[in-house]
Amino acid sequence: MMPFDHVNAGSPGEAVDLLTSYGGKGRLIAGGTDVLGILKDRILPDYPDVLINLKTIPGMDSIKESGEGLNIGALAKLADIASSPEIKAEYPALSLAAESVASPEIRTMATIGGNLCQDVRCWYYRYPHHMGGRMLCFRKGVGPCYAVKGDNRYHAVMGGKKCFAVCPSDTAIALCALQAKISIFGGEGTRTLPLEKFFTPMGNVLRSNELVKEILIPKPTQETRQAFIKFTERKPVDFAVASIACVLEILGGRCMDARIYLGGVAPMPWHAEAAERIIKGGSLDDPTAEEAALASVAGAKPLKGNAYKIEIVKALVKRALLRRQ
Amino acid sequence: MATKYRFIGKATPRKDALEIVQGKAQFIDDVKRPGMLCGKVLRSPYPHAGILKIDTTKAEALPGVRAVLTYKNVPDWKGGVPRHVKVLDNKVRFVGDGVALVAADTEEQANKALEQIEVVYEELPAVYDVEEAIQPDAPQLYEEFPRNLVPTNVKVFGPKTLSNVVMGDVDKGFKEADFIGEGTYAYENVANPLPLEPPGVIAEWQGPDQLTVWSATQSASWHRFIMVSKMGFPDIRAISTHCGGSFGSKNYSAQPLFYAAALSKVTGKPVKVMYTKEEQFGAFVLRLGSRFRGKVGIKKDGTVTAVSGEWFVDTGAFSDMAQAQVAVGCGEAQLMLRCANWDLQTKLVLTNRSASGVVRGFGGQELESAFHPILSIAMEQANLDPVEFFKKNYVKPGDGYYWREGNWWVCRGKDYSKAVVEGAKAFKWKDKWKGWLVPTAVDGSKRVGVGVGVHGNADVGEDDSEAYVRLNPDGTAVIHACVSESGMGQRSSLCKMAAEVLQIPLERVDMTPPDTLINPFDFGLVGSRGTYAVGSAVIAAAEDARRKILEVASSVLHAPPEELETTDGKVYVKTKPDSPVPWSRITGIMQTCTGFGRFTPDYSVPNFLILFVQVEVDIETGKVVLQHVVAATDAGQVIDPPSLEGQIYGSFGSAGTDTAIFEESVTDRKNGHLLNMNMIDYKWRTFSDLPEFRNVILETGIPSHRFKAVGVGEIATSPGPSAVLMAASNAVGKRLCEYPLTPEKILKALGKIKGA
Repeated sequence: MMPFDHVNAGSPGEAVDLLTSYGGKGRLIAGGTDVLGILKDRILPDYPDVLINLKTIPGMDSIKESGEGLNIGALAKLADIASSPEIKAEYPALSLAAESVASPEIRTMATIGGNLCQDVRCWYYRYPHHMGGRMLCFRKGVGPCYAVKGDNRYHAVMGGKKCFAVCPSDTAIALCALQAKISIFGGEGTRTLPLEKFFTPMGNVLRSNELVKEILIPKPTQETRQAFIKFTERKPVDFAVASIACVLEILGGRCMDARIYLGGVAPMPWHAEAAERIIKGGSLDDPTAEEAALASVAGAKPLKGNAYKIEIVKALVKRALLRRQ
Repeated sequence: MATKYRFIGKATPRKDALEIVQGKAQFIDDVKRPGMLCGKVLRSPYPHAGILKIDTTKAEALPGVRAVLTYKNVPDWKGGVPRHVKVLDNKVRFVGDGVALVAADTEEQANKALEQIEVVYEELPAVYDVEEAIQPDAPQLYEEFPRNLVPTNVKVFGPKTLSNVVMGDVDKGFKEADFIGEGTYAYENVANPLPLEPPGVIAEWQGPDQLTVWSATQSASWHRFIMVSKMGFPDIRAISTHCGGSFGSKNYSAQPLFYAAALSKVTGKPVKVMYTKEEQFGAFVLRLGSRFRGKVGIKKDGTVTAVSGEWFVDTGAFSDMAQAQVAVGCGEAQLMLRCANWDLQTKLVLTNRSASGVVRGFGGQELESAFHPILSIAMEQANLDPVEFFKKNYVKPGDGYYWREGNWWVCRGKDYSKAVVEGAKAFKWKDKWKGWLVPTAVDGSKRVGVGVGVHGNADVGEDDSEAYVRLNPDGTAVIHACVSESGMGQRSSLCKMAAEVLQIPLERVDMTPPDTLINPFDFGLVGSRGTYAVGSAVIAAAEDARRKILEVASSVLHAPPEELETTDGKVYVKTKPDSPVPWSRITGIMQTCTGFGRFTPDYSVPNFLILFVQVEVDIETGKVVLQHVVAATDAGQVIDPPSLEGQIYGSFGSAGTDTAIFEESVTDRKNGHLLNMNMIDYKWRTFSDLPEFRNVILETGIPSHRFKAVGVGEIATSPGPSAVLMAASNAVGKRLCEYPLTPEKILKALGKIKGA
């Protein structure tokens, strides 16, 4: 790894000041499980002079349950989120999503903020520089998206345009389905927006002098049923080939409301609204689930090597709605 | 077994266990030589290109940089067989191929210097497909090899190195057949054995023709006896540290050694070239690619009447060992199938991807995995139970076969039918096998199927081993043998064999470090030869030492040697066990007693392993889950039970069984880049995904080894891939023939998605 300085931030304000003063040559680090890999493989032409350490900011790793909902500091560890009894009880989709990430070693380092902000796993984007040179692609501002004509088995089947890398975050779809909001702190103060609005096709809306401070999740109603299923080739370690998080409001056997998000299939968490429309107002039986599954992938445009993901998504939707594994 | 041993067959702590778990064991990256420099490699961005211009002036001017080498000034050494692979060339042949070398005081300085080397390339068309590569108009990798065909008639691996199997009359054989399986199938996912520790070499020249190399290697002597001829015959002293796994790949590390030695030669300083994980993935060695086009004829009763076809072997950009792997593959096919009529031809082909090297399974796994779909077609037509078929057709004592060096050998090993039967029983094969393309069980979208594969190797007795055993007056013994430790525990097992012969406590037997200066020749721990070949040399040396000390004792104890016995470092007359005399009084404290042992090649004792697998396939998602595995073998007398179990569990990983499920090197054939050079995208099974696994190990002795043992470690990976194909095919009711069985391939075969 090439050298860099490492500066501890004592508060969100100080972190933002440091970001500003290093003028683009500073990068934030929390758990470091993503950023260090990026630096080690030197996948980006720019290399930071300094890493600004957020772990030294006191209190930003708290998990607080209140009557209104759950507040999770951006520095909360995935392991703590996965093992929290409150989250297991009231927000099982999030608990399962956090637990599905990587391995125990990584979950004890990785933070929720980092999980949401992590960079894509596209193997062209991540091609290690010392093996013949990094691959300059559309996402890096120069060149094509190699996945379009190349091996795109792990790339987007929906919503891809100029870049077909998928949003790799497992917690993102769970949090979107739970209608979470994200609180962003920056030079201009704090702004809060629905998590769904945080993601963009090329990453997220964070400005160069901003950081994620907190996640706010409204308390689910008594009638809420949640599911999270992640399809991977191996049990641990892998990123999602496809995943689903859904939060359903079931009253008297009828689905009154539904929020279904798909992961691993699009550059952002994919809101399966068409599937939601099909199940809303009716009972969740096999034909409805089947119809919702088809609707969830309507309009999907697979590349040469990833049509299989569509079949997997259909299976996941059915299983999530019918509570089968 | 009837014989009662003091150490053999008992689980004893590995002698190096404590130093490993306490972090005291020295691996290659722990070794530091005074003034040592760091060597780094600039690697090619193109799969095939000429170097038009290369300018190193900026790099040379950077602080700490001691040398920059290109094809212009690198020593004229050559690898490959026949020798054709330069240390650096004015041409690159795969993405990641070496372009220039830098030695600097620090790694950071070396990396910075790489960035400052300016290269102008002329891109050339590349070829990745083994049959496209042999077309007359295909891009050619080396001038000396038209149509990218590497000669197979080389003498390096034996006077008549096997490059085909031709015997009997195949036309007649096919006429006699009731069923014929035919087609073209491939095992081309060129998986990576991926030992935890990447390769690394330190080179230090003591004089113009005297080189010492340290490395983490599976077989220490290879860096001497193989590399000298490639480097103009310097006197190479090869030393091995502990080796963090190898699975064949780190038997030697030709490129890192070339690079370190070249940089050391020009700088006059020791140079370490330690590969990164990515370099281990993309610029070290992969499994051979294998494609088989041919047919097999069988009779209703499972008798194999003929085998014919052409085996295309893809070496990538080069290989030092491919001809040996072709030879062993040809040999192993004959072990698997008793058949009188053969016409099996081979082609060794170069393509624009990273090189192939030694990988556990060594040719046979590659050939058999590509051949198995054809065999399955024939067995399916004949409606034969594959277990019965393999039992009938695996080589039996008295059968003959050609082996690697080209000679005809008659099997004097054992009949492994009992291992087949016991394995099938443990797996409950008869209950689970429902016929070809019929699932064992169906539960919703989950389909369960079973499959089976066999493999055997006569390399358990390959090549030469020599050993000294020195008895010290204090009642200890030292084995002098050039044996590295790459994880199998074989050094401990050799100590057990010597301790058993000498009847001294195991902790009183030690072994010299793997260093060619201080040890006689040993070919190394390859092909399961540690137990039989190396073991026999050590046993012979221990027996020789014992005989010698008893001869000396004869005059001290006034009794003929045959009436003497030695136990626990003391000699006594057998009839007077109560008056033992310590070795120190036999030899005096200023003398030792050394015995010598030698093993010469014996390819007549093949080993065997049958692997039963049960998989579950989800027909909605295409996911294949390995649920249950039984491996059955007959190892003769087991030397160290936990070590043997560990070797057989090694069926997963190391480019073995999982090459049918998810292990593969993914290359983009548009631009030649290897895409999954990390442990996330390269799917290596983790502990959380281990299936239920049971080993059935029989102990029918073979007479040719003192303890009646035969090695089986290497072969555990080989029957796995084809067994998984068979099991998954049965689960889903469709013939699946492509490795690995990714969800995409399963869903395609089931017609759920269109073929690409």
